Amino acid sequence: MKQWLLRLEPIIWLLFGQGILLGTLLLTGWILVVGLAIPLGLVPAEALSYERAHALASSLVGRLVLLALCALPLWKGAHHIRSLAVDFGGGERDTALATCLYAIASVGSLLAIAAVIRL
Amino acid sequence: MARPAHPDAMKSSRPSPTRMAPPQMPPQYPMGGRYRAYTLFDATGFVYLLVGLLALRVVWALGNGPGAWAQLQAELQNPVYVAFHLLALLSVLFVGVRFFRLFPKAQPPRIGPAKPPPQPVILGGLYAAWLGVTLLMAAILSGGLL
Amino acid sequence: MSGNKKTFVITRFDPDRDEAPRQQSYEIEVDPRWKVLDALNHIKDEVDPTLSHRWSCRMAVCGSCGMMVDGKPSLTCKDSLANHGDTVEVAPLANFPIIRDLVVELEGFLDKLKQVKPWIIRAKERAVEEGTHRQSPAEHQEFKQFSMCINCMLCYSACPVVANEPDFLGPAAIALGHRYNLDSRDEGDAERQEIFRGEGTVFSCSYANECSEVCPKNVDPAAAVNQAKFRAVIDWATSFVVPRGGEG
Repeated sequence: MKQWLLRLEPIIWLLFGQGILLGTLLLTGWILVVGLAIPLGLVPAEALSYERAHALASSLVGRLVLLALCALPLWKGAHHIRSLAVDFGGGERDTALATCLYAIASVGSLLAIAAVIRL
Repeated sequence: MARPAHPDAMKSSRPSPTRMAPPQMPPQYPMGGRYRAYTLFDATGFVYLLVGLLALRVVWALGNGPGAWAQLQAELQNPVYVAFHLLALLSVLFVGVRFFRLFPKAQPPRIGPAKPPPQPVILGGLYAAWLGVTLLMAAILSGGLL
Repeated sequence: MSGNKKTFVITRFDPDRDEAPRQQSYEIEVDPRWKVLDALNHIKDEVDPTLSHRWSCRMAVCGSCGMMVDGKPSLTCKDSLANHGDTVEVAPLANFPIIRDLVVELEGFLDKLKQVKPWIIRAKERAVEEGTHRQSPAEHQEFKQFSMCINCMLCYSACPVVANEPDFLGPAAIALGHRYNLDSRDEGDAERQEIFRGEGTVFSCSYANECSEVCPKNVDPAAAVNQAKFRAVIDWATSFVVPRGGEG
């Protein structure tokens, strides 16, 4: 298992890096509006009525952006939690922990693909 | 005095002729000095994981139809969700600033014949992209555009 | 100049006498122009000859005198007493096994350094008649920064991954391997990739950047390690297009 992890590290790091880069770029606007402005009433809720939201999301760009928003932060999260565990002495269990975390990120990514396809 | 590091940290392949004292962690680690920002940076991993899963829930609800969507919108007004999103926003800003500062110097000096732009240009470009994408998304999501 | 007293709280450890490292205080008159190393040498020469510490050049080029001063990795020949208060704590470098007092075991680093093959690797050595390698100033600039490492090990003491992952190659070793990968005379990129992606993998680095913060020669090992990750990804990606194995 450790050998597999070592071989897959470049792609994991790429996904993690994009989780930070693209994730940060995309998440800021998303959180500001969907997470804060609309729930707090600063922006009218009709802005993301079902019809409008669905229309935006179903475009090709919309699906790709949503896929990035859902999947990439999972890889950033998984990788950093793994790093945090090692930093606090969890090195012995690193392989097991890493496998768990990346499995969560992988399942989440697959679900994200499913979610944007079924819109 | 400091806490012990991993007992095999920087261990030599040759046996030592004398008994050695075990390696110690840097005393400021993990929450002293600059290490604090680093540990918090790693800790934002929890927030990002939850943000991703929450975004997944949002998209899934959108696919489930108007009823599910309305229900989710109502849920997002819950103060717990709002507080989480505030924490998420702070995390994203913190991660962005730290990562963008460290990103330019991590570009190799050359890939084949291609050279990266000078570091200040990369940094400026990152912030410009951040601002641009954020404004664009905010405008679209809040109904100002499209 | 007189009337300047400082107290030095120094880690002592004699394996023949001490169960574990302990601290010993020395109050001495200091010259305000001294570096920490001057104070340590004064203590050894005038107060306690049993104190053991490494030093050599006194001018920040040999890398011998690295220690933890007030909890931070420091080159004691370069670190002024003016940077510290009336009590100064001096301890051996973090993350290294301690041989005695302020002297740590460095063989572990040499093991890691050997792994990255820090020399020019050529597929075929140049014949003497062909003359020397030719390298432009621009080509030299590409790796020069990373060649300035004096092996002082401050970066290893600052790195949280070194503290927790014994297999990790560490900042200086990776920076030196990367220095050769960037050198236009070198053809050993593929060989070093195996090491960079092996047990000591460069991807263990979590970009704390502490190594670069403490480096006394501005080598910026964090930049080297993260550039090495980038190159490893490119190498990994191109290996699907150009299969490796059986070097031509």
